[in-house]
Amino acid sequence: MKPISLRITLWCLALSHAALAYGAEPILKSGDRVALVGNTVIERARLSGQLEAALQLAAGPEVKNISIRNLGWSGDSVFGDSRSYFGPPQEGRERLVSIVSEIKPQVIFLCYGTGAAMSVDQGWTDEPIHKEPSASGMEGSLATFSQGYQEKIDRLRSAAGGSLREIVLVSPPPLENLGEPLPDQTENNARLAIFRDRIKQLATDNQLSFVDWFAALGGDDFNGEVASPALTNNGLHYSKSGYQILGRELVKGLGYGETSTIANDETPELVASIIEKNRLFFHRWRPANETYLFLFRKHEQGQNAKEIPMFDPLIAEQEKNIEAARQKVFAGQPKN
Amino acid sequence: MKFFQSLAATLIVATLAALPAHSQNGLKDIPDTAVSAQLEAFQLIEGAKVNLFANEPAVANPTHMNWDSRGRLWVVSSPLYPHIKPGQEEQDKVVILEDTNGDGVADKSIDFATNLHIPTAVLPGDGGAYIANSIEVLFLKDTDGDDVADERQVVLSGFGTEDTHHLLHTFKWGPEGMIWMNQSIYIHTHLETPYGIRRLLGGGMWHYRPETQRSDVFMKGLINPWGHAFDEWGQSFLTDGAGSQGINFVFPRSVFATSPGASRILKGLNPGQPKHCGAEFLTGRHLPDDLKGLIAAPDFRGSRINLFKLTDNGSAYTSSQVPDLISSKHRAFRPIDIKMGPDGAIYVADWYNPIIQHGEVDFRDSRRDQKHGRIWRITFDDQDTLPIEDLSQLDEKALAGKLNAPEALTRQLALTEMRNRDPKAVLPAVANLSVPDGVDPDLVALRKVWASQTLNQFDEKAAVALLDSKNHKARAAALRAIYYRAADNDEALAIASKAIADPHPQVRLWAVSVLAQLDVKETVTTAMKAIDGVELDEFLDFALWSICREHSDRWVADAQEKNPFSSTRQLLFAVRAINKPVAVDQILSALESGEISSDQEVTDIADWISKTGSPENLNNLFVHTLKENASPAHQKAILTTLASAGRIRKIQPTGDKNRLNQFLDSKNDVIFSEAATLAGLWKLESARPGLQSAFLAAAENQGRAEATLNGLISLGGPPTAKLFDSEAKSETSTFLIKSLAVRGRTRMNPAAGATLAVEVLQNAPDGKDPHGIYAAFLATKQGPGALAKALTNAKLPQPIALVGVQKASSAATKPEGLVKALQKAADLKPMKMALSDTEMESMMEAVAKSGDPHNGEKVYRRASMQCLVCHAIGGAGGVIGPDLVSIGSSAPVDYLIDSLLQPNMKIKEGYHTTLVTLKNGDSFAGAIAREDDNELVVRDATGKENRIPKADIASNNISPVSLMPPGLTAQLREDEFVDLVAFLAQLGKDGDFKTPPNRYVRQWQSLMPHERTRDAIGHYGHQIFTEDIKTYQWIPFFAKVTGGVPIPEMPKVVGRGRNRYGVARTFVDVSKAGPVRFKISGKLNDLILLHGENKIELPADVSEAEITLEVKKPGRQKITVSGLNGFGLDDVKVEVLDDAGTVQFIDIKEF
Repeated sequence: MKPISLRITLWCLALSHAALAYGAEPILKSGDRVALVGNTVIERARLSGQLEAALQLAAGPEVKNISIRNLGWSGDSVFGDSRSYFGPPQEGRERLVSIVSEIKPQVIFLCYGTGAAMSVDQGWTDEPIHKEPSASGMEGSLATFSQGYQEKIDRLRSAAGGSLREIVLVSPPPLENLGEPLPDQTENNARLAIFRDRIKQLATDNQLSFVDWFAALGGDDFNGEVASPALTNNGLHYSKSGYQILGRELVKGLGYGETSTIANDETPELVASIIEKNRLFFHRWRPANETYLFLFRKHEQGQNAKEIPMFDPLIAEQEKNIEAARQKVFAGQPKN
Repeated sequence: MKFFQSLAATLIVATLAALPAHSQNGLKDIPDTAVSAQLEAFQLIEGAKVNLFANEPAVANPTHMNWDSRGRLWVVSSPLYPHIKPGQEEQDKVVILEDTNGDGVADKSIDFATNLHIPTAVLPGDGGAYIANSIEVLFLKDTDGDDVADERQVVLSGFGTEDTHHLLHTFKWGPEGMIWMNQSIYIHTHLETPYGIRRLLGGGMWHYRPETQRSDVFMKGLINPWGHAFDEWGQSFLTDGAGSQGINFVFPRSVFATSPGASRILKGLNPGQPKHCGAEFLTGRHLPDDLKGLIAAPDFRGSRINLFKLTDNGSAYTSSQVPDLISSKHRAFRPIDIKMGPDGAIYVADWYNPIIQHGEVDFRDSRRDQKHGRIWRITFDDQDTLPIEDLSQLDEKALAGKLNAPEALTRQLALTEMRNRDPKAVLPAVANLSVPDGVDPDLVALRKVWASQTLNQFDEKAAVALLDSKNHKARAAALRAIYYRAADNDEALAIASKAIADPHPQVRLWAVSVLAQLDVKETVTTAMKAIDGVELDEFLDFALWSICREHSDRWVADAQEKNPFSSTRQLLFAVRAINKPVAVDQILSALESGEISSDQEVTDIADWISKTGSPENLNNLFVHTLKENASPAHQKAILTTLASAGRIRKIQPTGDKNRLNQFLDSKNDVIFSEAATLAGLWKLESARPGLQSAFLAAAENQGRAEATLNGLISLGGPPTAKLFDSEAKSETSTFLIKSLAVRGRTRMNPAAGATLAVEVLQNAPDGKDPHGIYAAFLATKQGPGALAKALTNAKLPQPIALVGVQKASSAATKPEGLVKALQKAADLKPMKMALSDTEMESMMEAVAKSGDPHNGEKVYRRASMQCLVCHAIGGAGGVIGPDLVSIGSSAPVDYLIDSLLQPNMKIKEGYHTTLVTLKNGDSFAGAIAREDDNELVVRDATGKENRIPKADIASNNISPVSLMPPGLTAQLREDEFVDLVAFLAQLGKDGDFKTPPNRYVRQWQSLMPHERTRDAIGHYGHQIFTEDIKTYQWIPFFAKVTGGVPIPEMPKVVGRGRNRYGVARTFVDVSKAGPVRFKISGKLNDLILLHGENKIELPADVSEAEITLEVKKPGRQKITVSGLNGFGLDDVKVEVLDDAGTVQFIDIKEF
């Protein structure tokens, strides 16, 4: 991942908003609802706010009131393995479909593949008919993954309904080799590259946008060397500065060109309100005590489920803060 | 109805005088929050005293605590629990408490972090602290020296939060330098790690090594395991805050209660114990000798801390309870964590709350305390406490020296501190560690191995050297050290191969655990050698069963060809473990040749073949039963399993089925019953006459008649219908036959059965339904509707209708139409179940003022109340509902009242009813006992296990209905109801209704009256009660909370003249021959005690005596007590004085 570190140092810190490639239709429009869906790399993005800040800034000052919902879930597979509570993965898929149909996003980002690539031969889903194929070598794993991903795309498309404009497939980013005693990820990266190719193919087949995080972060050139400082804490989980790069490469991949993601310490208000919005939204869509509020013990505490929607106005309040903060960033930014 | 009618009347009056503050229900019960009030309420073990170490505002609702190597206590608190309110800040905190002047009181407190969301664990180390923060594990660090965290990193995330008292918790440094963490039932965790995804769905234990970032699941299950303690040799023991089996011995891949999808589970070491939160071994110089080595477990419901003594037993341990360390009458004293302190004292975290958790009581109930919290410190008069040392100030040599400290905490903190040092400096110091006097040199060698692991520089050679230790504990510990990285260790197979034949079963257990980690072909063939030469206890058996299954791909293909194991016995174990038809011919020829012949092994083979074999295989078994010299035990086992193969798998033996008829002539009831069932399953028309005559002879043998029902129904057709119709209608039939006929007809055709049922129910003697007519209707989908329809224009006497209403109301299918029809037919008013707020208010007042818990216990024990059938108190009673041992100290009074009146309102976790409906309309309700690929086993409200073929299941849902029938209390007068509530409300509180720790025999069987006794007692004396007479009927009989066995409550066994005896027997398991000590108390002059057939002389004119039984042969011992009633006899207590290593109780199911 050496190339990355070079790019960081070469990176211009100037604040300049998106410069869209000529003629391209911007992916984000005013009032858009955006859903981020995936595994841990998405889920943890909510904590640093960097990924969302990159999107918010890339959209530029004319585009207003973008509302982003992080629906990432650690360990999730294309079959929804992490999202079910007491039932089979099917229940997890339904949970995702249900929240997506509630949000009715204009844009959905999907990022899957890390877990499958790291579990070749071991199996990576409990989905009954796919459990064994997912464990039968690279070919079986890939085929199962493609099938599951295709179904997910189809279901989310119909769940989102008529307002949906774009589904973006994002390849998983590469893993880092941080040296002993952490494990060597060279082999996993080779597998991730194959999964990336398959995801790209899926995007083409479905005429979807595709963002290649894997290539952008140096996965293809990976020779075992790592950026300094590292972009991940443990080879897998991206740190705040890692998410800064991921954000930058995401918007670049979306056609926003060489924009600054700046969403770092120079935009503390924006980042802080994004993080706070994400915290509130987490309590709203993945509340603790689900068993008592909504599931089979709701006869005990179901009366308290009424509190959960009370997070909505608080989230709306934070979205206003986000918009105000980004406008402030744009206002302080020199005109091109 | 009595109670409710009178209650309604009383309440109208009471309402007028009721307090206006109805929303403050029970608030008057809130205990005094003053520290002094708590101090006054403590009762301590002899020689101990207690002082306040810290309290609010520094700590409020502490959930967990741990010491750092500087001797400071880190406490994590959560006033936010149980659920964040919209708009509420995440402000839960971690505080560092320090006693700077050594007076035993914290004089310095620093808020290390104040921005947490229901944190449930804190573990200082690595220059900061690891904190469980709901979904994630945080590592917080202070970088500028003010002891306030300024760096925050998520180190693990993806933990479930489905229930906030089950969140990730119980962090602990292991002796090998890993972080151990537990999670509970309902929590679904999906971790992404640099090694791949790790999932744990349900309860279980993780270990995590920060430097490698490797997390793995160690064991699964347990409901709420909030306690984990390592013994001196590094074995793990867990306690459970919702299970009730005391101390649990856990090892890799062990699986315990409630682990989702588990087809087999292990049990804890103390069935029937209160629930615990926290666990700690008591060690160190400050403690009195008799406490050293005990494991302490806070019983937060009972506001006390229990102590247990562990004794080696096979591959595991036995655990016996000894007197409590501390207990309190203060209802908000909630000990939830216990840790030895750096000064050698015992520290207790008191969550301080009158309400213990958030399932049953509203999240926002104002009685929840969200302000207070206490850390108590227990010291002993006889010894000074130790000076608190700051280990961070020690040089490496002195630090290494601390690895031999007599205090386990000091040893652990020294290891934690070593992680902050340069391994190059630490390891040489550790290498030079000397062996103190009186310490096993191998223990010191083990400590060196642990130090190397703690620094992630595992000294494998030293571990291997320990495998030659004379001490099995050292050998087992060495294997555990090797276990963690066995997959990367080329020597591991050779090491395990040697250890698998170790003379000690615990070493074998760990050898199997090491093998289970390996990616080589020989794991199972090597592991199976462990079954030879030692007694295979449940734990070792489980480990072997588990590896046979997990690694089935390494041996099954070979076994298809020829036996890859060293014996047929090993092969049989392995094929049974995977429950697949592998190597069937080899096993069957061993049966044929007589190589396998023990009853147990034949039963095992029959069971396995019935679950997996082909029709030809079933015929092989069938032929075995037909042999001239076939043993009845073999016949019984095989016929039983042929029946389950027929029912579950719908397969039958090949060949002539008429061979079965010979068993219908059997004198053996069990063999007859199995044959009757089979005759139906096999549609054996030639068996019809035999079945019919046994059915008609129900009066002589009810069991046989019941057994023919299945057969007759399966044979079906007009002859069966006609038989049932005419018997149900016949004037000369007994009520038993009529009931059976109605049941049979209902199963064939619910509508036809319903027509018959009305008249039979109208004439039910005493308004009772002892032979299950209602149950037959409730057990099928169309049944309730059919019966309701048949009742449309009919009248029923009130008592029998009430029985029906009760049964129907607790049916998982909620047959409301039937309930209404029954009420209409008998003109019953709907039962009043719910109390208004004011009614509740006055009821609670009545309980507090006039409730008599002693009388309440009598009400509780009445057979007609059926409480004991389902609920145990301290292990004495049924297992269908939760054990009520400390319900009074955990549940508010209004909760108890609601639960009695409306069982469906609050259902304890793990006691939900599952409703299974079959494709043919039959339904089964109960708890899922276990399941495999072919069948689901549902335990119903009577404790009966129903095996249900999965192929027949149409739906399987969790029902919102409790297994507890509503209206059980309808028979009570109001004062009786009040007494019953008062009794329940006292359970677990200090006083007469807290189960004492003494080892009283609590499970007994009582003899029903029998014709033999009247005359024979004159000739043979009380010894006749010990005779093994088949027609003696023994019913379960349980001790009272005090441990006393009330002889007057027993069925009256007739003696000469007007003599009436109460007779009870029990069984205990004694591990070795020799004297065994008991204590018996009661009115000894009028009591007879028998050991086996031998009468034991009791001293005259005393109320208690220590007695010694001479056990000649180890194993089951029968103890019988009988007393002549009418001479002021009351309770008899029989207490075992030896520990569980010598005498173990046997569960009543095994009597």
